[in-house]
Amino acid sequence: MTPLRIPILRHTLPNGLRAIFSPDNAVPVVTVYIVYGVGARAEEPGRTGFAHLFEHMMFQGSENAPKGSHFKLVESNGGSLNGSTHPDYTDYFEVLPSNKLALGLWLEADRMRALAINAANLDNQREAVKQERRLSFDNQPYATAIVDRWPQLAFHNWQSSHSLIGSFEDLEAATVEDVSRFFKTHYAPNNAVLVVSGDIQVPQARELVETYFGDIPSQPPAVAPDLGEPERTEPRLETYRDPLAKVPALVVGYPGPARRSPDYNALVMLDLLLTGGDSSRFHQNLVKGNKSVIQYAANLGWPFAGPSDYLDPGLYAMYLLYNPAFTGAQILAQVEEQIARVWKEGLDAGELERARTHLLAGRIQGLQSSHARASLLGRYELLDGDPGWVNTECDAFLAVTAAQIQSAAQRYCDPQRRTALDIQPAASEEGE
Amino acid sequence: MMDRTKPPQTPALPIYKLPPVFETALPNGLSILLIEDHRFPMATARLGFQAGSKYDPAPLAGSLSEAAAALLIEGTEGRTAHQIADETAAIGGSLHASSSPDHLLLAASALSENLPQLLNLVADVALHAGFPEEEIELYKRNRAQELLSQRAEASFQADEKFAELLFAPHPYSRQDPTLETIEKLDRAALAGFRDRTLSPNNAVLVLLGALPPRERALDLIAAEFGAWQSRESPPPPPARFPEPSRSIVLVDRPGSVQADIRIGRLAVPRDHPSYFPLLVGNAILGGGTSSRIFANIREKKGYAYDAHSAAYPLQESGSFAVVTQVRNEVLAEAIQALLDEMHQIGAQPVSEEELDTARNYLSGVFAIRLETQDGLAGQIAAVKLLGLPLDYLEQYTRRVRAVSQEGILAAAAGYMDPQPASIVVVGDASQILAPLQSFGKVQVEQAK
Repeated sequence: MTPLRIPILRHTLPNGLRAIFSPDNAVPVVTVYIVYGVGARAEEPGRTGFAHLFEHMMFQGSENAPKGSHFKLVESNGGSLNGSTHPDYTDYFEVLPSNKLALGLWLEADRMRALAINAANLDNQREAVKQERRLSFDNQPYATAIVDRWPQLAFHNWQSSHSLIGSFEDLEAATVEDVSRFFKTHYAPNNAVLVVSGDIQVPQARELVETYFGDIPSQPPAVAPDLGEPERTEPRLETYRDPLAKVPALVVGYPGPARRSPDYNALVMLDLLLTGGDSSRFHQNLVKGNKSVIQYAANLGWPFAGPSDYLDPGLYAMYLLYNPAFTGAQILAQVEEQIARVWKEGLDAGELERARTHLLAGRIQGLQSSHARASLLGRYELLDGDPGWVNTECDAFLAVTAAQIQSAAQRYCDPQRRTALDIQPAASEEGE
Repeated sequence: MMDRTKPPQTPALPIYKLPPVFETALPNGLSILLIEDHRFPMATARLGFQAGSKYDPAPLAGSLSEAAAALLIEGTEGRTAHQIADETAAIGGSLHASSSPDHLLLAASALSENLPQLLNLVADVALHAGFPEEEIELYKRNRAQELLSQRAEASFQADEKFAELLFAPHPYSRQDPTLETIEKLDRAALAGFRDRTLSPNNAVLVLLGALPPRERALDLIAAEFGAWQSRESPPPPPARFPEPSRSIVLVDRPGSVQADIRIGRLAVPRDHPSYFPLLVGNAILGGGTSSRIFANIREKKGYAYDAHSAAYPLQESGSFAVVTQVRNEVLAEAIQALLDEMHQIGAQPVSEEELDTARNYLSGVFAIRLETQDGLAGQIAAVKLLGLPLDYLEQYTRRVRAVSQEGILAAAAGYMDPQPASIVVVGDASQILAPLQSFGKVQVEQAK
């Protein structure tokens, strides 16, 4: 019943760079996607926000592409580009007209080989990142609670609990030497996956990849961070007063299963039943029935990841903006009642079938662009060691039975292991 | 051996060919566009109406069209909201409507094998929306909370005030509802909206994807939409807009750690001769990461994370604005730098290199946006709803490439010159009023 068969050709270079080619010649567009196996959870104490600061440095020029030319070359050739930092990886892409493939590969290879790391670039990007923090977090309702406080509450291990955007103090403390060391350790070909997808001829694309990346030296592998998380044995509920929020919100999370385990598949389906679309239980019973929840978001990996990049230890977590006529404790009780009803009462006729069809259609929608395909292929190679999950995971999700969903709901969404953060508007209390 | 020190030489940009569009209409006036795309087993539909927020009556400004869009899928004469949601999910579908200043757009998709059910659902919500009282009450309550939540964001406050300064008294000045206009919504208003504006002669249906043979597709469409009665549509409000003039408004948001800035003025719609020169000029000034404003405000001065400009076309007008958010201490320097950039692009011809970069950038990313079925269907629906010629998408690249240095100078003089531009700043007045006053008289307002 797999809806799409994405072509996948793998080729590992002698320096350890894993290359993946996925041709689709319908539209004259090509994506160059590169993902490095380092994210914010690999940061060290005193260096929070470093993975993200480094991502900014990647756009500050390299040996043969001086500062500013990365942006200019991509845009002047009709392309778009960006990069993003995640808990367990950092990725970069160029989407280009397909006859510009060589340019994208040249740019990525030049900065992997010889990034321009100097004090002027570092100072400038430190300021840009501080402004980004003010814009996207410090000046936004809910964001500080979710990005800074929620991980501290939900995780015990510092690797997972520290602020992924980082503190101003740590950003100030970052030195050119730190940045150089980080680059050498983590931005090596043997710690990266390169994907070329879209309107390509594989032999030519492969030759270009070998030409540009083939002689970049590999490095000793980085020591993987210890992400070990102690078993959570009692529930936590904390209230956070947010001076920028006007409407209360509740965050709820449960420690999740191992990636790609049968329980992972079951929780993906459980989340669809609970929160996927207007036919879901949360929409029908909480938004409509109880009229208590206004909006919600949920995911295996929320807020920084979804099922595609969830990596354990992680959470099945949700965020609910709610009607202030209710208390956070009431909303929490309603959420837990909805989950308990799944494992106690089972599923309604047609409910699982609808969720399966929803999943299938969402998958087809989500794989239409060369960028979306490249990003999944690259991350599945990095996180699973197998990009083929793009074609096979749908079968695994669709094969999940009602009994498996019930069992996973009972075992994972356990009120004894639940963390909750109630975000309350603070303005009224402070008389502003 | 290849020279690695220089960027590789690549051929010129490929020309984008739009898939063929078959255009027809039903006798009741419903305009129909069919596009075959068999790459994916999906069908996607757009049903658009000339029924955006600009048609809202004054007591319901910003709230009626938006509410009607949200409530279309919340019950019809024959289906409850729950049934609509379940049936949509069962066909692997999505079904949503949204409202913009000019249009109301119903967007739907499903696995292509379920096309008949998809069209049946789309037709049912468009023709027979029921607006149940209970759904209206829930919508009003939640929309009011959502509005409070939106107003907690500085950028929302800035956009709201900026539209007011540019367009008032035209309805484009009220693109968002207020608590008062939400409260006034009722079933009579919504049913009246449906009966006035949701008619076939006021609509465009785009159907794209893995479609059945054309005759079969047209039969399905005729079966669902053929009995729909045409009727007279309301005219848009008069397209009268104020002359641009300098005003400075500070929306006080105590505790803001940065200031959200908009500087801009009235601009032009897509079919105006100055639109393409303005589009290319805007790309050079602040449209991307190689633009002047990005290079200066972010990369050189480090004042901001986001610094850009945007030319936003509407059906009968448009706006141009530079946008950034800076820390309080550098407010005056940042505004001065933005004003200087706006002035400069109208004072000196842009360089050949800048022009070339902007033209290629706009042409290339335009094609990238058409890679997905949703992207293509959305663009085609927009072209038709705006009354633009159907070859607009294919001509886009050609028209972008035809823009000259002189054209940009003229467009910049007309629409980017900072002299009569409005300035909106949202931030902590106790921190930034004094520096802002160095640019003229400042009107201070409380954040809503």
